[in-house]
Order: sequence, then C-alpha cells, then structure tokens
Amino acid sequence: MIERDAFSADAHRYLDGEPFRELEGGEFATADRLVAEAREYAERLPALDPALDEVVMAAVRRRTPARRRGGLAWHMAPRTVRIRPVWVGVLAAAAALVLWVAPRAPVPAAPTGAALRPVADTVYVRFELSAPKARTVSVAGSFNGWQVGALAMARDSSGLWSATAALPVGEHRYEFVVDGTRWVPDPTAHAQVDDGFGGRNSVIVVGPKGLVRS
Amino acid sequence: MTTIRTLLVTSLMLAAPAAAAAQDAGIEARLEARGLPAGLAHDVAAIAADASARGVPDQPLANKAIEGWAKRVPAPRILSAVRQFASQMSSARDAVRAAGIASPSGTVIAAAAEAMRSGMRAEQVRSVVRAAAAAEIAAPGLSVAAALAAQGLGGDQAVKIVVSAMRNHQSMADLLDLPSIARAMHDQGLSPGDIEHRILDGGDGGDRDGRRTGDHGDRPPLVPPVSRHDHAPGHLNFTR
Repeated sequence: MIERDAFSADAHRYLDGEPFRELEGGEFATADRLVAEAREYAERLPALDPALDEVVMAAVRRRTPARRRGGLAWHMAPRTVRIRPVWVGVLAAAAALVLWVAPRAPVPAAPTGAALRPVADTVYVRFELSAPKARTVSVAGSFNGWQVGALAMARDSSGLWSATAALPVGEHRYEFVVDGTRWVPDPTAHAQVDDGFGGRNSVIVVGPKGLVRS
Repeated sequence: MTTIRTLLVTSLMLAAPAAAAAQDAGIEARLEARGLPAGLAHDVAAIAADASARGVPDQPLANKAIEGWAKRVPAPRILSAVRQFASQMSSARDAVRAAGIASPSGTVIAAAAEAMRSGMRAEQVRSVVRAAAAAEIAAPGLSVAAALAAQGLGGDQAVKIVVSAMRNHQSMADLLDLPSIARAMHDQGLSPGDIEHRILDGGDGGDRDGRRTGDHGDRPPLVPPVSRHDHAPGHLNFTR
C-alpha cells in the first residue's frame, strides 16, 4: 500500500486543493512532503516540444478515413428516411416498370407466316411429294420454325411421301427437305415466291373451310 | 427526398434502354438457340433493334435469319437478306401508313412487306389496306392478294379481286378461300384472265353481291375443315 492510500478523505481534498474539514498533524506533514516531492519530480521532467500539438494533429489528420470509406460508412450507418406516402406508390410503379421490361426467357420461335391469323381455327393439311429415290423427306416452314425434320413424311410403296399437319388458319411458307439437305418447293402449293436467298418458298393460304380440291 | 427523386428519375431513364436491350438479348438468344453463330446472331439482333427503333417489327427479321440458317445459306448472304427485308418492311410500313393506318401493327407491316416482295407495288398495297373495313382485315387481305398475284393473276387483278371481296363484305373465311379457289381453277385449265372474271362474277361460289351460295355451280368442291391438301402430289425427279 502506498502512502496516499492511507490518507483520509480530507487529506485527499487537501492534496487536490479542495476545501477540507480536519487533518491530523501527521497527515499535514506527509501531504506536504508528497507535494514537495511531486513538484521536484515535475521539475526534473524534460520540457515538452512547443510544436507537439501540431505534430499530433498532423498525425491525426493523416489517419482520417478516406472519402470512399466515409461514404460507405454513411450508407452502413442507420438513417432516418422521411418520405411522402405518395412517393411510395410512384417508386412501386417505377419498379414494376423496370421489372416489366427486364430481360425474360426467350419466347419460343414464332412462325414467320404467323402474320395472318385472323381466325383461331386450325386446319389439318396433308402434304405430299412423289420422290421415289429419296431416303428421307420432311416439311420445314414458317409453321414449324424452319426446323428440318420437325415434320417428317412417311413413304408408301409407290414412293409417295406424305405428312399431315395441323396448321393455323392463315398464310404459311414452306419447302420440302429431301435427304436432309435438298430444299424443294411444293409444285402444288398456291404460289411460289422468292425466299430472299435465291430460292423459292411455297405458299399456302389456309382458310377455316380447308383447302380446295381440284 | 433528393436521393429518392434521383433514384426515381434514374429508374425511368433506364427503363427505355433496358427494354430495347432486353428485346435485343431475346432475339440474340433465340437465334443462338437455333444454332446461329454468336457473331451472326449479334449482327442480326443489331439490325432487328435498329428496325424496331424505326417502327418495323423485329421478329420477322429473326425468322428470316433462322430460315436462311436452316437452308445453310452463308452468313453474309443471310445478313444481306435480313437487311433487305428490313428495308422492304420499312417501305411497307410507309405504304400502310399512307393508306390511313397511323400506327400499323407488326402483322400488317410484315404482310405488306411479303406482298411487296411478291411483286405488289406500294399503291396496290395501299388499295388493299384502304378497302379493309378494319385493320385486322388488312393483313389477310394483303396475304391473299400476294398469293393470287404469285399465282399469275397479276398484281392489279389480284388487288381487284381482294378489294371487291372486301367491299362486298365477304367473310374472312371466304377471303382466305380465294387462293385455293384460284389454284383449283388453274388446275382445271382456266387462264388467269378467266379465273379473275369467274371469281369477280361470282363464279367462286358467291353471288354478284359476294355472298356465298354454297359449294355448287362452277366453284370446285371444298374439302372439309379436317381436310387434305389434295392436289396431285408434286413429282420430284432428281438424281442423287
């Protein structure tokens, strides 16, 4: 235990320069001696550099957080946001708009010839091609996304290939695909038109009543 | 409040480009899914985006690229065909607008473009569109006129038949029936001029007011809706 721990509360007040009520004689002597020793010790301490304040403050400024970190801290700290209720609705509408135009999964290919679909009817159409030497024949057109093999035709004993497809009412463009590579127009179609690639597409216009037999 | 307003304005400013970008991405992804190389798909999507920005439908352009790729057409030729089709649709859009449809649908524009590709002139397209009682009739009318013209009737005759049918308030079914009827008459040996006269005179099964009178007279019999494409089969002679 050091000496000041044995002091009374009034002795502490005396050392601190505060008002006190009563001290014993011994306490006065001890306190005065401690004060004298403290002063003597303080006088032996080296003098502080007058520029110490500036040095310390410069060090503090160097350690100031970067602006970016400050910005991040601003966002992370809890804030009170004041907003008019009407803006909640406006923001919700804007968010709905953004979500509505956001990329979506690709839509299945729409047939080219789907331009004409005034009636929701579907008509069964039979395609035929006489090609005795062919190994495979299929129909590719606007109604099946020009997929080779999507509508495969069956061969009978005479070499007549045929297939039946349910087509929406409207105009359709197509060709026969022989042996997977050879594109052949249908000579019985309503019309043959330029396909834009130097070839000819066959055209049929399917009405709700079906096709006309010649 | 300033921050919220900024967010709102930014969201709205991003909406339009986001919509265009989403559409581009959709077409590009669709083309790549069909096997088109990424570069070709990108170029086609760019053409489609440019066309879309000018009020021209973009899906027919993507479909044309898919058709070309399925037919194993070289990429430069596909791009050329897509550009040409975009240009044709732009002209078709102008023709349809000139006929009184201020904001034509993509369906009508595509039908008009196909008709013009089949040889119909802009004024013929305008005639058909003007005769249509409603915008949704214009597209089938154009397709039928184009099919008739491609059958050899000639553009003016084809337009005359379609316009007559529309003005006589024939049904959509009757209108769509015309290419089949013309084809059947052709197979019976009638000349294009005879076909025109017989259809206009009501020989297609309708009377002179355009009303259908039944499947009799000079009109070839109709195949029922569950029908056959029952012309003589195409005969293909080729050597492998």
